[in-house]
Amino acid sequence: MSAHASDKFVYHEPGLQHQFEDMKQQEESVSIGMWLFLAQEIMFFGGLFTAYLVYRSRYPMAFAAGSNHLNAFWGGLNTLVLIVSSLTMALTVYYAQKSNRNMQVIMIILTMIFGAVFLGVKGIEYTDKYNHGLVPMAGLNKRVKADKNAHHEVEKPCWEVDHNAPPVEHPNPRGEFLWTDCSLAKLAQDKNFLTPSERVGYFTGDQIDIEKFKGMVRIFYYLYFVMTGLHALHMIIGLGLMTWLLWTAWKRNYNSEYYMPVEMSGLYWHFVDIVWIFLFPLLYLLGRHFMH
Amino acid sequence: MEHDHMTIPKYLGVFAVLVVGTILTDYDATIDLDSIFPGANTLVALLIAFTKMACVMLFFMHVYWSPKLIWLAVIASFFWMAIMFAFTMADYFTRAAGVFTT
Repeated sequence: MSAHASDKFVYHEPGLQHQFEDMKQQEESVSIGMWLFLAQEIMFFGGLFTAYLVYRSRYPMAFAAGSNHLNAFWGGLNTLVLIVSSLTMALTVYYAQKSNRNMQVIMIILTMIFGAVFLGVKGIEYTDKYNHGLVPMAGLNKRVKADKNAHHEVEKPCWEVDHNAPPVEHPNPRGEFLWTDCSLAKLAQDKNFLTPSERVGYFTGDQIDIEKFKGMVRIFYYLYFVMTGLHALHMIIGLGLMTWLLWTAWKRNYNSEYYMPVEMSGLYWHFVDIVWIFLFPLLYLLGRHFMH
Repeated sequence: MEHDHMTIPKYLGVFAVLVVGTILTDYDATIDLDSIFPGANTLVALLIAFTKMACVMLFFMHVYWSPKLIWLAVIASFFWMAIMFAFTMADYFTRAAGVFTT
């Protein structure tokens, strides 16, 4: 204050930035900015959910078949991990409001640990997809040489493949997307609940065509990788935010007067959690009651 | 400033609701509701997901105590997404499916 040669004393709250009238205006401006960013993020993910909605409504059995090869245990575990990290994030904001620096730092570190566990589990899942030829891009799967001496079981029609059997390693010299099981298309055909698009999309003549069915399962895996990949990118950015927050909280930058950066980072983190809350049932849990 | 709305027991309560919701989602997937009407399984899963989302937004993100302008931003973003879904599906659901009897 002494720098300004003012004859009037104006009370200035320590956390108030000069462009705002008062703390209330500052808080509301910062919040509305963050929420508009999140509205934009909702539209960003919304485009992918729209693509999902269109293709799933047309080819539900291909989506159910693809979904059954995702590991619901890892998906569910990651859901819980993210919920815990959301709790620790909410508590970070709580302790910032209480001017408790040490608990703030502990909660930020816990949030980061759970975020890292989430990404680790994601890595395990992606590796599994790589090993079983489920990445929908040629060349990005594990290459398995065709061995003439290897004992291969007799080729079965695709609708007789047991969808509960453990995945078999097939020769895959070019690392292409592999799919051999169309038993769910057969099930839907027998019980007469194929959608009109499926009646066209899976069949050549009156025979289920595994190549066509594989193409639709591939769309499911494409959406799986783009949606979870974009979500994982958000997690990585969130971890970057947390690193910065950890540093500034360590320096005692936040207290009951000024904690907006903590609150705004929290909004971002919770948003990423909410996206996963929808991704988990929509990607991992389709058609499980057909299977078991 | 008012920021004493949430206490640690309340945060833990919301957390418990989220965990129960996750378990219910998982259970929902193992039982056959699609025999009631197609898509019932997904509908229940989405209802649980919306409940969980509401808990996170209202209490973890403090929307419940936020100014009306924040409520407007939240509701508007879902409204825009609903428009995107509705108009897209209005197209896809009313296309000629191209059914050829086999």
